[in-house]
Amino acid sequence: MNDESQMTNGEHDANAQSSIRHSSFSFLNSIRWRLQIWYGLILLALLAGFGATAFQLWRGSTYRRVDDELQRRVNDLSQLFRPPQPFRNRGFEGPPGQRPFNRPPEDQSPDGPPRGRDFNFDSSAPREFHLPPQMAWLFDETDTNAFYYVIWRRDGSELARSSNAPAGAGTLPASTIRVREQTRNQPPDAPGIRRGPPAPLPPVMSGKFREIEMFMGERILVGRSIARQMADLRTIALELSAVGAGILLLGLVGGWWLASRAIRPIEDISATAAKISGGDLTQRIDVSETESELGRLASVLNSTFARLDAAFDQQRQFTSDAAHELRTPVSVMLTQTQTALNRERSAAEYRETVESCQRAAQRMRRLIESLLELAKLDAGQQAMKRSPFDLAQTARDCVALIEPLAAARRVKLICDLPPLECTGDSERLSQVITNLLTNAITYNKENGEVRVDGAAKDGSVILRVSDTGKGISAEDLPRVFDRFYRADTSRTSGNTGLGLAISKAIVEAHSGQIEVASEPEKGTVFTVRLPLS
Amino acid sequence: MRILVVEDEMDLLRSIAQALREEGYAVDTAANGEDGLFNAQNSDYDAIVLDVMMPKMDGWEMLARLRKTKKTPVLMLTARDQSRDRVRGLDTGADDYVVKPFDLPELFARLRALIRRSAGQTRNVIEIGDVIIDVAGRHVARAGEAVPLTAREYALLEYLALHRGELVTRTTLYEHLFDENDSTMSNLLDVHVSNLRKKLGPEFISTRRGHGYCIE
Repeated sequence: MNDESQMTNGEHDANAQSSIRHSSFSFLNSIRWRLQIWYGLILLALLAGFGATAFQLWRGSTYRRVDDELQRRVNDLSQLFRPPQPFRNRGFEGPPGQRPFNRPPEDQSPDGPPRGRDFNFDSSAPREFHLPPQMAWLFDETDTNAFYYVIWRRDGSELARSSNAPAGAGTLPASTIRVREQTRNQPPDAPGIRRGPPAPLPPVMSGKFREIEMFMGERILVGRSIARQMADLRTIALELSAVGAGILLLGLVGGWWLASRAIRPIEDISATAAKISGGDLTQRIDVSETESELGRLASVLNSTFARLDAAFDQQRQFTSDAAHELRTPVSVMLTQTQTALNRERSAAEYRETVESCQRAAQRMRRLIESLLELAKLDAGQQAMKRSPFDLAQTARDCVALIEPLAAARRVKLICDLPPLECTGDSERLSQVITNLLTNAITYNKENGEVRVDGAAKDGSVILRVSDTGKGISAEDLPRVFDRFYRADTSRTSGNTGLGLAISKAIVEAHSGQIEVASEPEKGTVFTVRLPLS
Repeated sequence: MRILVVEDEMDLLRSIAQALREEGYAVDTAANGEDGLFNAQNSDYDAIVLDVMMPKMDGWEMLARLRKTKKTPVLMLTARDQSRDRVRGLDTGADDYVVKPFDLPELFARLRALIRRSAGQTRNVIEIGDVIIDVAGRHVARAGEAVPLTAREYALLEYLALHRGELVTRTTLYEHLFDENDSTMSNLLDVHVSNLRKKLGPEFISTRRGHGYCIE
């Protein structure tokens, strides 16, 4: 990621994000941190949304309760300034049966409540106003948190003010009042419209006070300190934030734990893989507690590591064996040439030296050819032809070729083969048969015999080469196909110790099997089994 | 000095034996562990060169059996150069080892050192009067002047010098100077001794009549 691309990100979020990317490039690359950040952001958005909604709902209902009360009071008060019309009493929601204008006169103190004529529709300016006692419970003037009212005459002069009304109540700027005048109905001399029941203006906040006003000639204001509600709301907001923060923290901790748990196997895997790439191929991932998809991955990796380990081991062993096998001919050449060059020699001596070097070199050549062949077979580069042929005919050809060797060792060759049609590379398989025959003759006893027979059954062809030699001991038997393994641990036989390994590789490249059975002092049987197709 | 070489690779066996003979050693050979053990147990060799990988009985086995009766210095020839193989060889009783493929000069140097140590000598130079024998370079000087010696004469001198002060019987000398291929004439030894006396002084080797020879 280059700086260029970061800069072209959206202006708003780019600043914040790019600074994170700059400062903590590596930890944004960590899956755990990315999970954690996404998780945290989503949780934060959810919590903030829920919290804000809950708070709004709460605040709305609080205000609505206050507003309802305010509205009721301003309506009640406005009743007092209206001519007694039957329908208007519907709006009055005071205690049942209380009708301020129909009250008996005993309720009216001399200086107290307004007279009926004070509220005369046509009266332009009531001189004074007293709250009717039946409405006193609506305005508890001793409590600064209770409802208060202020009433102005039409000319703007104050008619009445409850004692708990704050000093600032109703002292709205003149412009605001004008606007409100306009928004309420018409000026007083537009009687047609004023007939409808005047409605209060929407409640407004004035500092810590919630107030509602109504213009109906007189201006009536009812308000209430909502300091307590606001304090309650603040408390609620704090509580919501605290709970939200708690949940967020809990969520982040839980998310971290989950992410760590999910990622721990990955860390195990990468730690083990690091050790292995450091050369310690014996390391394995602990799969005991990873039963998940990662567990399966770990198992797959483990088996890969095991195969790598085995392959490396085999390679190491093979290289060391190959080096070991090359040491002897090289030693021969070195000692021969160093001795020969020590002083002047006769032509015969030089000849002997050169012959000996030639033998060593030929041995090395055989070894190198075999090693290359094995390496190719190992790598699967040696393509096997897949053509139908008669294995019996191939075997007979091999027997014919090896006859002189058998004659020289006075070993009798017996060939008894039915037709063995199969598919494969006849040239490579004749190499196998020749090798088995050579071994059978070489390790046979004088006047012994080598028998080649076979059969076709169960979807495969079987070829057997049995000898009457000294056999192979039980402890050597499982290892005869190993590379460089020689039962007699000597090199005098002149073979490379790779013949059977190569034979096995060729047969297995044909999806076949090669087996050996032996009885000491009686003989050895090699069995080659090839699938028909 | 008589040395036994046990090695199953015939070309290698022949060339080592030939090279050692040309260095003046008497050399016996064996192509497998069984023959080697038989030879080693029935003659007193000054050193044995022993291959590890052999048919019938490998070098380790032969060494282990030999050590029950003989202290002959043994130098192992091995194609394995892993440390556990070297440790095993040395622990079994080998005195030194050489990893194949080796250089002949190194093999000779190690053999000389082995023989010198087994005779209790720590230096490569033996001084007897005005005669100085350089075992490493196989030179002999008398009063600062080089004395030319044949390989046999040198071998005889070196053996007697390494066993200075000891009475060395004629039989011992025969055993250590001639290998099984030599058809030794009984007077050959006397010829070599008289030649050495001519070159190094008549009193250099004293004769104990009927017993043997000695360098005082």
